[in-house]
Amino acid sequence: MTDLRHTQPDAPPPIAPGTPPILQLQGICKYFPGVIANQDVSLDIAPGEIHALLGENGAGKSTLMNVVTGIYQPDGGEIILNGYGQSLAAPQDAIRAGIGMVHQHFKLVPAFTVAENIHLGWRETPFRASAKTLEARTRALSDRFGFSVRPDAIVADLSAGEQQRVEILRVLARQARLLILDEPTAVLTPAETRDLFRALRAFRAQGNAVILISHKLDEVIDISDRISILRAGRNVGTYRTADCTAAGLATLMVGREIVRRDLRARAPGAAPIAPAPVLSLRAATCRDPRGVETLRDVTLDLHGGEILGIAGVAGNGQRELTQVLTGMMPLSAGEILLDGTPAPLADPAAFARAGIGHIPEDRLRSGLAPSLDITDNMALREYDRPPIGRHGLYDRAAAARLAGTIVEAAEVRVPDLATPIRNLSGGNQQRLVARREIRIASRVLVAAYPSRGLDIGAIATVLRYLTELRDQGVAVVLVSEDLEELLNVADRIGVLFHGRLMATIDAATADMETIGLLMGGRSTQNSPARDGGQA
Amino acid sequence: MAGTLQRQPTVTPARRLAWRAGAVVTALAITTLFLALSGRDPRLLADLVVRSTVGSRFGLEDLALFLTPLLLTGAAVTVTGRIGVWNIGAEGQFYAGAIGATAIGLFLPGPSWLLLPLMAASGIACGMGWILVPALARAYAGVNEIITTLLLNFVAGLLTTYLAVGPWHDRVTGALASTGRLPVRIPEIWGVVHWGFPIALAIVLGLAWLTTRTRWGYQITIGGANEQAARYAGIPVRARILGVMLLSGGLAALAGMFEVAGTVHRLQGGLANNFGYFGIVVAVLARGSCLNVLPAALLMAFILNAGIVLQTQQLTSSAVLAITGLVLFMIAIADELAHYRPVTIRPVTPRPATSAEARP
Ligand SMILES: Nc1ncnc2c1ncn2[C@@H]1O[C@H](COP(=O)(O)OP(=O)(O)OP(=O)(O)O)[C@@H](O)[C@H]1O
Ligand SMILES: [Mg+2]
Repeated sequence: MTDLRHTQPDAPPPIAPGTPPILQLQGICKYFPGVIANQDVSLDIAPGEIHALLGENGAGKSTLMNVVTGIYQPDGGEIILNGYGQSLAAPQDAIRAGIGMVHQHFKLVPAFTVAENIHLGWRETPFRASAKTLEARTRALSDRFGFSVRPDAIVADLSAGEQQRVEILRVLARQARLLILDEPTAVLTPAETRDLFRALRAFRAQGNAVILISHKLDEVIDISDRISILRAGRNVGTYRTADCTAAGLATLMVGREIVRRDLRARAPGAAPIAPAPVLSLRAATCRDPRGVETLRDVTLDLHGGEILGIAGVAGNGQRELTQVLTGMMPLSAGEILLDGTPAPLADPAAFARAGIGHIPEDRLRSGLAPSLDITDNMALREYDRPPIGRHGLYDRAAAARLAGTIVEAAEVRVPDLATPIRNLSGGNQQRLVARREIRIASRVLVAAYPSRGLDIGAIATVLRYLTELRDQGVAVVLVSEDLEELLNVADRIGVLFHGRLMATIDAATADMETIGLLMGGRSTQNSPARDGGQA
Repeated sequence: MAGTLQRQPTVTPARRLAWRAGAVVTALAITTLFLALSGRDPRLLADLVVRSTVGSRFGLEDLALFLTPLLLTGAAVTVTGRIGVWNIGAEGQFYAGAIGATAIGLFLPGPSWLLLPLMAASGIACGMGWILVPALARAYAGVNEIITTLLLNFVAGLLTTYLAVGPWHDRVTGALASTGRLPVRIPEIWGVVHWGFPIALAIVLGLAWLTTRTRWGYQITIGGANEQAARYAGIPVRARILGVMLLSGGLAALAGMFEVAGTVHRLQGGLANNFGYFGIVVAVLARGSCLNVLPAALLMAFILNAGIVLQTQQLTSSAVLAITGLVLFMIAIADELAHYRPVTIRPVTPRPATSAEARP
């Protein structure tokens, strides 16, 4: 078989010439009312390759993969599996054919355990299955595929990375030969991403294939063998990764060149940093229902006209910090001051009225009502003020006008405003939430991972929005895992570790190493910390 | 390639209506078939049903009397459904409303212009009281409302029977079956149809406006669609759940008041006649829209009325339940089938996939 002397353990396996592609798409078309999601897409996936699928938000990547996995029927074209034409009438057909997909938005049952989720709807699940058997079987699978999971844990309690491992294991257990991952790394920490990539390489080494959708070009170049690019639903080319550069790919995706600007530079006439803080935390502490401190003794000041970056590995108190700053979570100890006076405790509506916008971490779950239409979703922040809300009424026509304005400002193309918002692409949902929140953020904008799931063009746009707000004198809090992004736009960077604000450092003098050390909980000796933990 | 069926994620209202109409017709056709197989003349029965429901003045009056409580209980279950809560207890709140109204009617002397509003208020208060504990438990402790509201139905039904044959029983005839005749009655407007009917219609229309055109209605829609998003927008979800459940209890109770003061004129066991449970059926058919309660309740009233007619023809009373079940079943199938649309897949001339030629 393989000549082991020349093959690294994780390198792509040598494939005999003439081996048919695992998957071949010929002229796939998929239309939605008013939208061409895919047009004449042809693509082939060889065994033993990791194939990246790139494209702007709404380019049709998720839709194409939903066609491949039998969730949607194509309106034209053919799917050829291992050399045979095949029609996939339902997701079960795709699973039987060895195609498994992990979706952009996870599809696990939150109230079930990991083991139950793995065995749900699986033909090989034993007929009489006790919790013990399921857990033992799950443990065996987890060992076999090298994805460590806790079989008895409830899915709702798991981090995004752990949930994703469950999703992947679910797919692999069903003997997938082609694994499709839709933006798998958007919610992962760098360490989790490394683990994932290691597992993917091992999977590839066994002659299987992976299709990976991602907006992170560096990752794509790192892991993939070939890259296909979708633009407005069409495949504009398939390239060997070795021949690609990040900049070249970006240009291909967007169809024009992306200019990077120095985002920290202020426009002439921009508002200066206000001397008095708008929003302050004093020794703020939060406890979760089990009494564990999730935010410890955080003191910080937000000034109008500046961007405060928040760095840290996910799960170190970012969620709690953003929820406290937007009035969604009460403090167990400490104070939150709005313009120097104590703010009403945990009343998000009052915070919104005071001009505090919030782009939440998990948009689909907490920022939108997926089954409702675009209009109702866009009115979420302004339904109680004129022109939509007057005398206790809800003016649908005014709401539709507002939605139209937001959709236009977000540069999202939608067939009509009565479309349920879950039918929009992940990135487009995000853009709409960002625009909706920017509208109400007249004093403060708290943005949690605003570039998550966005294509690079859209990331540049969102970061530009933030700097424009800053120039108008708004205080911006930018929570991000991307240090480069933080160093690019933030004026100061605070680092969270185990719920504690380790330090707040001046972005102009900060460097990656220092921040990296702080993120790992290392103390701040010799670091350019300005005021040791207090901003 | 040949044509295939494809599932559409959304269905237009017109399309759904067409499918549902088809479902009702199919259900009726199947019913007719069974009647014919059991040796009856379906044409005769159909003629009788039509004549005694929509085809005659008496039929229409009966239909309106059935419609009145169904509109209110259907609306009661529909409004809670909008915030994601199932009030299975409309039957119990119906009884509570009837008890509250009867207490005033029997024991408080006064002119009817004063007594009737008082009876309504007392009935509504009792209905709200009946749902209060399940509502508080649901809103503040997350206790599943389906079980709590359901169980209270049996309590309310037994309490009604106890009062009717016990402490409040008819002193005039001395029969232990019901209370005495109430001294006041809701005035009639058309034959036996009383003012409760137009009021119920107006209430349903008002609710349709309230749920779609007001801030309160918007908050409830969001709360029902995604509770977490509602919290994020600062909507007081618990208070809204409590409010909607109380409203629901009040609506079902008003149906009970109308029934006792407008139609039956005495409190007796079995007064609710399953109107509370049929309200659930109406709500399922209405799919969360208060406006849809109107046609849904009409269909239900028609079936109930037809059932009475069939009973006069020696058909068992379970026939009504069977027909209701059949209609619901066919409509559920139609709702699903409405998603499917035949598509013809146009073959696209296959092209080899672009491979590693161009260089970015
Ligand atoms: N079920 C649907 N009904 C109507 N339109 C849809 C549906 N699903 C997707 N679309 C539309 O098809 C287009 C392509 O969406 P798709 O989700 O495939 O984009 P994507 O490339 O995955 O984008 P992103 O990077 O933002 O996730 C979008 O314009 C979207 O609004
Ligand atoms: Mg997508």
